[in-house]
Amino acid sequence: MLEFFARSLNASTVFTIAALGELIGQRSGILNVGIEGVMLFGATMGFIVAKTTGSYLLGCLAAIAIGGLIAALHGFFSITLGGDQVVNGMGIWILGFGLTSYIGYPYTGPLGLERLPTVFGVSPFFFLGISLVVLTWWMFSKTSLGLRIRSAGENPSVTEVSGINVTRTRYLSVVVSGMLMGLGGAIFSLSYNPVWSINFLLGWGFIALALVFFSMWNPFILTAGSILFGTLWQLSLNPQLVLPNVMSRYLWRAVPFIMTIGVLVLMSTKWFSSRFGAAKPEALGQSYEKE
Amino acid sequence: MRLGGYEVKLEKKVRVTILEASTISLFAILIGLALVGLIFLQAGVSPVKGFRAIFSYGFANPFGLPLTINRSVFILLCTCAFIVPMKAGLWNIGTAGQLYGGALGTFGVALALGARESQAPSVSPVLVIVLMMGGAILGGAVMGAIPGFLKGRFNTNEIVVTMMLNSVGFWLIAFMIKEGGPFMGGGGEGTGFKLSESVFGPMAWGQTFTIPIALALAALLYFLFAKSNLGYQIRAFGLSPSAAKYAGIDKQNVPLLVFILGGMIAGLAGYHYFAAVPGLYKIPTNYGDFGDLSFYGIICGLISQGNPLAAIPFALLFGGLTNGGRFVQGQLHLGYGIDYALLGVLMITLVAFQFFYRNSIVWEKLEREA
Repeated sequence: MLEFFARSLNASTVFTIAALGELIGQRSGILNVGIEGVMLFGATMGFIVAKTTGSYLLGCLAAIAIGGLIAALHGFFSITLGGDQVVNGMGIWILGFGLTSYIGYPYTGPLGLERLPTVFGVSPFFFLGISLVVLTWWMFSKTSLGLRIRSAGENPSVTEVSGINVTRTRYLSVVVSGMLMGLGGAIFSLSYNPVWSINFLLGWGFIALALVFFSMWNPFILTAGSILFGTLWQLSLNPQLVLPNVMSRYLWRAVPFIMTIGVLVLMSTKWFSSRFGAAKPEALGQSYEKE
Repeated sequence: MRLGGYEVKLEKKVRVTILEASTISLFAILIGLALVGLIFLQAGVSPVKGFRAIFSYGFANPFGLPLTINRSVFILLCTCAFIVPMKAGLWNIGTAGQLYGGALGTFGVALALGARESQAPSVSPVLVIVLMMGGAILGGAVMGAIPGFLKGRFNTNEIVVTMMLNSVGFWLIAFMIKEGGPFMGGGGEGTGFKLSESVFGPMAWGQTFTIPIALALAALLYFLFAKSNLGYQIRAFGLSPSAAKYAGIDKQNVPLLVFILGGMIAGLAGYHYFAAVPGLYKIPTNYGDFGDLSFYGIICGLISQGNPLAAIPFALLFGGLTNGGRFVQGQLHLGYGIDYALLGVLMITLVAFQFFYRNSIVWEKLEREA
């Protein structure tokens, strides 16, 4: 049972770190629905580099680098070219899905490295995730940088008038957000389930995206949501722990996805949005052009 | 910006003519293919040789061409399934889940009417075929109705919902065809049961009958959007849901309707590949590949700017490219998944080229200073 909770926390770390990235980008006003694609890039590059060099650290660094690079591309399309952010995000997702399928295919199979040592039975990435969450909260609520990012996401023209460079702020947030998404992907492929196969994230990135909406853009609620979904995911893999012989294991695999839809619907109701809806960055998804 | 004796400026476009749109699309595809050429180079294959092999197998080979046509019809149906919600400003990235729903409907009907391999169906085979298609449409419609209803009623993000349903559909099929599931075939290698020969999709002039159906559907959709009141309502909703409200258009029903329509068409795509394309007639182990292939519908829908007739040549092109790509990766010892790489690269070049739909580059000759 203890092992089950440890696995759940490991799964939740993937959600936490990737969704934290999305949250930072969204706070600056940039919606990246291509989070799954960025994660696939991070996961695949991290896996390839770690497998060929034998180093987890290099794998993670490669994932962070490619995540930042791909997100910068999204930034270029969305900030500089000013296109529809949903279209651009879809492009990033399909690029990630298509290209990593081709690039990663020769590396199909297990990573073959010794597992990382655990701390109190949990992957060290979990503690990294918690530290990043606290750091992000601190940055947003206590520093001027956090205020700049938030104001760029709320009202870019007013922000610009008050002497803040919106474009630069948004680029910074988007690149950092991509680095975290890439790292989240690498944690999946290096620690949570170190086996590569085509499109192996199977929608985790989209769940992370839903988690950001669920979190009301608050890093702590985000962490709680991630732990909930990590546990659910683990439960769907081991249904016999709670409900032995109730349903086929294949049907259990569908449960977290159905739960995501349920949570998303709950959040979309009037009841919910009238209470907590104000947290949404006002200018989310809108491109900004300097007058 | 000054360049030589010219002033180069960006100007916002108000509307794009058909000629401009097709030029932009063509350029996007050419640049995308050139980028894939780089992948060939990296793999040590001359791009000219690579593309020649792809095109000659995809479009000029007696074995390759029928496969291309079957793929193209599938892509065309997925494109139409994407386009209908797109006209209402909504994203249907759930064509995979909807075609899985269609497959479940198709084979559910076949099983109920005893149309398994080496059995005779309990009613006339023609009736079974019609009912199987009905099952496919219904299965797809149910999968489509979910995001449509949730969008209309609660304004729930349709991208996340459709993506989640792709995974739900994927596991539903796994449940049905594997480990003793109701649709499991003989041999126990995790495929669905094979259809009775009498209910194979009928052939017309050596080709499956779903080809004319798909083409007629594309034409029908074109007229729906160009001429009909319903098409107008959908487009008005897509341009501005709040303004559409004042034109008396129901805010809840439009999303539901477009997603049901999209789902029905995607369900038909599932019927086409699993019950009408020669050589298959069952849900194979690698059914997920067909879900992946359906994402070409997104590219095709975007590149044809939501015009179902313009989508036909693009669907044919992508059908040939993916089919030829699959073939040459074996022949030229390329890595697996060149068709996936093509999907990704084409999509991102297309997204980059969206810029030119919105802006035009204007060159103005500078007056010589005296």
